[in-house]
Amino acid sequence: MIYEQLAGNLVQGLVLGAVYGMATMGLSLIFGVLKVVNVGHGAFIMVGAFVTLWLFNSLGVAPILAVPAAFAVGLALGLFFYYIAVKRLLKGPELATLLATFSIGVLLEELIKLLFGSEFRGYNWEVGKIDLGITVLPMSKLYAALGSILIAVLLYLWFNRTRAGSAIRSVVEDSEGARVCGVNVGAAYAWSFALGIGLTVASGVLVTMFIPVGINPYMGGGYTLKAFVIAVLGGLASPYGAFFGGLVFGLLENGSYTLFALIPGVEPFALTRFFSFMILLVILLIRPTGLLRGK
Amino acid sequence: MKRDSGKYLPLIPVFAVYLVLFLVGDNISGMWQLMAMLLFYCALGQAFNIFLGMTGYVDFGYVAFMGVGTYGMAVSITGLAHYEGLGFLVIVIGFVMAVLFSTALSLAVGAVALRLRGAYFAIATIGVNEGFRFLIEGARIWNGSEGMIFMAELNKILGRETASALATYWVDIIVLVIAALAATVTLVYMRSKIGYALTALREDEDAAKVMGINVTKFKIIAFVTSASFAGLVGAASWALKTPYVFPPEVFEIHYTVEAIIIVLLGGAGTLLGPLAGGLIYGLSKYYLSIFLPGFQLLIFAPIIILIIVAFPEGVVGMIKKRFRDTALGRYII
Repeated sequence: MIYEQLAGNLVQGLVLGAVYGMATMGLSLIFGVLKVVNVGHGAFIMVGAFVTLWLFNSLGVAPILAVPAAFAVGLALGLFFYYIAVKRLLKGPELATLLATFSIGVLLEELIKLLFGSEFRGYNWEVGKIDLGITVLPMSKLYAALGSILIAVLLYLWFNRTRAGSAIRSVVEDSEGARVCGVNVGAAYAWSFALGIGLTVASGVLVTMFIPVGINPYMGGGYTLKAFVIAVLGGLASPYGAFFGGLVFGLLENGSYTLFALIPGVEPFALTRFFSFMILLVILLIRPTGLLRGK
Repeated sequence: MKRDSGKYLPLIPVFAVYLVLFLVGDNISGMWQLMAMLLFYCALGQAFNIFLGMTGYVDFGYVAFMGVGTYGMAVSITGLAHYEGLGFLVIVIGFVMAVLFSTALSLAVGAVALRLRGAYFAIATIGVNEGFRFLIEGARIWNGSEGMIFMAELNKILGRETASALATYWVDIIVLVIAALAATVTLVYMRSKIGYALTALREDEDAAKVMGINVTKFKIIAFVTSASFAGLVGAASWALKTPYVFPPEVFEIHYTVEAIIIVLLGGAGTLLGPLAGGLIYGLSKYYLSIFLPGFQLLIFAPIIILIIVAFPEGVVGMIKKRFRDTALGRYII
């Protein structure tokens, strides 16, 4: 009985994990290229959720189709914040970029609150369910997971098969060397930041498929914290590492929840969160390059 | 000898400001609450500056030390309420417990996290803060997520009237003392081997190590000192002022960010910085909440971004540069 429940929850964890992974790739991309930790990460996921909500409620666009729109919004926001703030802080101390990205997150939250209000909202997108025997999976979640995998593959191809992608990879390897070879390093930084934010806002669309009525201006904080754990699992600087980190995290989260729920007298949800932060600390200490060997 | 005589002169303006805050609050009716709030932010800034300002390490989980300090006081009050006649001794024990808790946590965290640098350190400290909060909730330590409410116990120990006088007046005096003490410790550190070692490691940790400085030791000294002051602030401003403690509140990351803003606004690593930062931040927050209620954060966020981009050295950092080598310069550090 418990094994069946565990297996069912692990399947759900894997599906959620794919979306977690996709929702962390932007964070890792930005850290990998610019060495900036985007503490406002979750706020960008929230923006994506509101893009989905708005497109669905006012134009009737299916949530999965909101991904390109959210990606475009993210690119624009990324370029905007890069040029007004991040660019000027790259040479400064960590403190400056951490506080700046946190403030950007707060600014987004307050703007969205001003536009949409702060109550919890959601939408209803019925596309059926699929029965796997051990668990029942809504099709919307399956679409979200498949969308995540597709985006991860597209990102991989873009990085490895296009000139712009190679340019960014060369900047990561050696920014001086890249400059000498004629790569526009400034543009590579700007577009990496924009791409990272674009991916993050797009992931906000997929995240909404798991929280039918959990859309709120302040929903992002929890995702920022989860994204940190996932990014660290994947080595912090590698978007693909982050994707696999997400899969691992989804499994760990659902698996440990199922097991903690067996202990009487504790709050399994809180213990699951505690467990995830212990993983974060242990990995930072013994293997800061992440679980995969990472590049 | 001549240089030595003026070693502690910069404390004069610090103490003068605290005295003015006290006098304004005590003599002008209706001002006490505002002054108490300013004192809280100044104390928070002074305490955090000892670590953040002097080492350049960004502790994003700083609020955890205030949190455990609050718990130290809460545990003492609830645990000792049955014993008759202890009176103020309970409060003293509470402060001792607050320092013990925050010191113990900072030693544990420091031993682990201070091996990491830069962004990795910041992420690890966020992890510690959240992890500790969820451990308390998940394992139901100290009542878990229900928190502790100890108004009745506090009234029983001190009597209703004394307890209320403590919460509305004497606690703020205690916060003032903590702030002044933290400022004094800051200057003592600055003027001693610790300060020079920390400056060296803030500028270039590897070079400092090669020069034979025991960087780990000095980082931990600054970390633990800063954390124990945070514990005191938590015990006074949170536990005694509002006699309850809930995990989501006392581990809320926004308090860490407020402390970072105060230190950065005033000028990281300066003695007067946290004071200036605390005053500017506290006053603007107070008046924004009166004139534009509900829009404080919307206005604050872009201002903070602007300040980081345009004035990274902070107010005191700029003034210090301006008055270097003048008669006033020796008071402004």
